[in-house]
Amino acid sequence: MKLSRATRWLLAIAFACAIFWGCNRKHQADEATVTIAIEGDVLSFNPLFTDDLVSAEIAQLLFPRLVEPEFDYTRGLLSFSPFLASSWEFSRDSSEITFHLRRDAVWSDGVRVTARDVQFSFELYADTVVASVRQGVTQHLRRDRGRVNVATSVVPTNDSTIVFRFEKAAATHLFDLGVPLIPHHVLDTVPRAHLRSHRFNTSPITSGPFWLERRVPLQQIVLRANRNGWCGITPKVARLVFKVLPEHRTRIAQLASGEVDLVTGLRLEDAEPLSREERVALVSTVGRDYDFIGWNNIDPQAYRASQGKVITPHPLFGSKNVRRALTMAIDRTAIVRAYLGKHGQEAFGGISPLFAWAYNDTLKPLPFDPQRAVRLLEMEGWHDADGDGVLDKAGKKFAFTLKIASGNQLRDVIATVVQQQLKNVKIDMNIERVERSTFWNDLIERRYDAWIAGFRLPLQLQLDVWWHSDLQRSPFNLVGFRHPRVDEILERVRSLNRQEDGAELWREFQALVHDEQPYTFLFWISDLVAVNKRVKGTHIGIFGATHKAWEWYVE
Amino acid sequence: MFNSLPTYILRRLGEILPLLFGLLTVVFFLARLMPGDATDALISPTIPASVREQLREQFGLDRPLVDQYVSWIRSALRGDLGVSFTRAEPVTTVIAGVLPNTLVLGGAALLIEVVLGVLLALPVLWLHGTRREQLLSRLLLGVYAIPSFWIGMILLMVFSYWLGWFPSSQMYSSDQYGSFSNLIAHLVLPALTIAIPAAAALARYMRSSLQNVQRQEFVLFARSLGLPRTKIVRSYILPNAASPLIALAGVEFGVLMTGVLVTETLYSWPGMGQLTVHAIFARDYPLIMGCVLVAGVVVAIGNLAADVANAILDPRLRFTR
Repeated sequence: MKLSRATRWLLAIAFACAIFWGCNRKHQADEATVTIAIEGDVLSFNPLFTDDLVSAEIAQLLFPRLVEPEFDYTRGLLSFSPFLASSWEFSRDSSEITFHLRRDAVWSDGVRVTARDVQFSFELYADTVVASVRQGVTQHLRRDRGRVNVATSVVPTNDSTIVFRFEKAAATHLFDLGVPLIPHHVLDTVPRAHLRSHRFNTSPITSGPFWLERRVPLQQIVLRANRNGWCGITPKVARLVFKVLPEHRTRIAQLASGEVDLVTGLRLEDAEPLSREERVALVSTVGRDYDFIGWNNIDPQAYRASQGKVITPHPLFGSKNVRRALTMAIDRTAIVRAYLGKHGQEAFGGISPLFAWAYNDTLKPLPFDPQRAVRLLEMEGWHDADGDGVLDKAGKKFAFTLKIASGNQLRDVIATVVQQQLKNVKIDMNIERVERSTFWNDLIERRYDAWIAGFRLPLQLQLDVWWHSDLQRSPFNLVGFRHPRVDEILERVRSLNRQEDGAELWREFQALVHDEQPYTFLFWISDLVAVNKRVKGTHIGIFGATHKAWEWYVE
Repeated sequence: MFNSLPTYILRRLGEILPLLFGLLTVVFFLARLMPGDATDALISPTIPASVREQLREQFGLDRPLVDQYVSWIRSALRGDLGVSFTRAEPVTTVIAGVLPNTLVLGGAALLIEVVLGVLLALPVLWLHGTRREQLLSRLLLGVYAIPSFWIGMILLMVFSYWLGWFPSSQMYSSDQYGSFSNLIAHLVLPALTIAIPAAAALARYMRSSLQNVQRQEFVLFARSLGLPRTKIVRSYILPNAASPLIALAGVEFGVLMTGVLVTETLYSWPGMGQLTVHAIFARDYPLIMGCVLVAGVVVAIGNLAADVANAILDPRLRFTR
């Protein structure tokens, strides 16, 4: 069929109009839609298999949990409020907790949430065939011949009552039990080895304040408010849209243009321009993340050659005085002032000021004092005997390579500053950038002498994996720090029923670490989140940006 | 020996299959040479080290490399590309979810490239040997040399952030999912980003072709007959100059499909480029292999289409020595 010239023109104009109509059409979504920019797609909705920040936050909105964590920012203490469990009580010796569940919670397919779902969830978390990333939450449950036995340690007494039995009492149990729960009736018959590829991972049956409306791979996840209400919670916004925007600049530009309402993981350089945006509010939370320079306290070669049997002091960093000298040779205050401004705080003792109850505010960072640093190094026998500008001792130069993972601009700059400042005390430091994955693998295998990296403190102060002298059970004690009194402290705080009872012990811990300087602590860095001012009622903080998003409302 | 077209296609397919097999073998072993593996994401103080070992066993990463390779090839021959380590879905499902998006972007980019390329080449017929033609030629060379991500950033800044005419990311607005007009609006900038430098290259190729045809005797003959210039261009020059373009388009499609990596990231376009980047960074071996297989097949099909088009246009190519 041949079209006339006029028809062809009309079609062309209609096509052009369609394009511009599509472009300029006003945002017609319900006013109560809030759009959150995320860097990467959610890999799975199944809480068994993902624990990255975004997946965890979405899981909290979709799946039931026994308890809801709360944080007292004044005292820095974690507490718990009822969620699926309306109440709970501890046994006399605190080794058992009995939860009473609400009877009005239902899964999105209409089936009631019961105590069997709770038991089933912990069966899956504990199962080594499932290999859940949250397997650790079951490690304190009562054991049977050395193995966790969920059948006897997580016992429903009826549909709405369940008892958890632990090996011994500990302050961290409630936190461990706050993991998302999984529907028994949906996955019970699925072979455990097949769970990793089950369609539940992408189209889950959920039970929470929000439902999953749509997931478009690599593009968006849309959650719809559960308007029927969930356990007395009725969200005030109609929808949450998690928009996948891998490019950092795009996320910032869309925040400024109003296309998205909330952006997490801001960089420090974003703070200044965003603070000038009228419609955007910046939220800076004192963080749990700290950066440090790790000085390997032990000789990595001897350790690896003997497969962990031979532990000898590192030829350069094995001495406390040398490590203190290194810290004093580096101007940490200037680094914080120059590169972090008000979004960072100088670190020194391994515990964030966020945890006010445990923080030792009587300690002060070692001063920046290069002359004292030189004297300390001389005391340890380091002199520039051959006059070549580098310290030496018994023919060995004070020269080493500092490793950093590639892709972190701030650490790049800091490494250069540190190199210059150590050169002033006649220490020769090279910088080597390593691909991120290789960097962490090498660190875990204790291959490096010195490095810059960062850690995040857990919400419950249990720091054995970072600080215990038994290097086999503390894989993140990367510097090989060994101190019997610190071990004692770690053991004692682990057995306390209330974490605040360990305040004095934690203060002593910081004093010991401060004295030993196994690391040169650099700074605590704040979490920066930007949110459109039209979104009210947010609880942006240590539980993430979307914590209790059901309380958000839009003005 | 004279080959019929189906025989010719079969013969070309026979050449492509070993190439694909070689590509997959090389990528399989190269991917394993990268430091670390998919369980690196589980290096975390909150995840027991034993979980990494359990997963390595589940993923088969504890088996000898050759075993893993043989097992993957066997499954792939049955059409099973395995389960993505990170996305907890079969690789075929993951790829099927995003491949159409890349085909849409690649197809739109190819269309724009060809139209723009031809339009930019045509002035040579009128401006041949003039200063304006030289200027246009240099301009095309300049545009061709600009990296596509830079073109993308300029387009984004001007047409999205400053003028607000086009959306800056993704395939649909969240409130207009599935709307055709909304898709077209989202498609314009990324397709242009890919098409502009490619069109510049195509235009330069087309210009040479036009110039060659213009000098042919049948064109001189048409002129001597006093035929109108537009008729000569439409009926004699364009069809003869454009025939190599059909073959070129086949090759270009494969190149475009595999070259959308940067553009997809820049515009958050949910396609194969983004997926491949994710797979590589996550050391998701089954997904890496799936993405490479798809890219290889698309390039092969593009090349095959080009060869077939050439064979149709020039039957001498069907002869074998």
